[in-house]
Amino acid sequence: MYPTSPEPARPDRDGDQQLRLLDDAWEKAAPSWQDDIARQFGTHHWMPLRDESRLYLEALRAMMDLLDAAERDTE
Amino acid sequence: MTKIHADIDALTELRAALTRFRYAQREVTEHGGDAIEVTRASLEAKASRWRARLEQGQAELAACRDRAVAADQDGPVDCSGYARAVGEADERLEHIRHWQQRIDQQVMEFAGAASRFKNLLETDLPRAEEQLAAIIASLHATRRVPPPGS
Repeated sequence: MYPTSPEPARPDRDGDQQLRLLDDAWEKAAPSWQDDIARQFGTHHWMPLRDESRLYLEALRAMMDLLDAAERDTE
Repeated sequence: MTKIHADIDALTELRAALTRFRYAQREVTEHGGDAIEVTRASLEAKASRWRARLEQGQAELAACRDRAVAADQDGPVDCSGYARAVGEADERLEHIRHWQQRIDQQVMEFAGAASRFKNLLETDLPRAEEQLAAIIASLHATRRVPPPGS
């Protein structure tokens, strides 16, 4: 029996994993950083970064799902 | 470890995480673009194969019909197999074209999100890293905590 080739990596899953790692770093920093600068950083940098990343990764997931479906359905 | 060190360490780690995120997500965007191109090329190759089969089938069907006309007096010539092959090739080709159009449409919708995200990675994220670096430097200075490695 031949070994099956592994599934090709999906970039959206890699992106999700990276966002989780960044979220963890923020969760570790946030409790001990509660001043005005932290709030400004959260409002102007962290939240837009997190929200835009989520939007992109959702769009990428939909794109990758469609590509996979197209390949399967045209075999 | 004192609380001040813990604060600075957490912010330093956050800054490092932002930098890693920027590089890793840049690769994610590149791989996403590559995947789109790979699938587009794959579909075009499949379409090309079915176009060739369609053309071949149409030629064989035409030749069969010519034979049928010529052999009219001698008995019927069955061209239904050729007709079925043409029908199947036409259907498969149309199916692939349908997927190509769906992908083109989705790529147009995806382009907006991809462009905003790339802009965030190239412009906004480095600014966030710089601001965090300045905050960390300020903490080191005001709290007289030596920077790592000093």
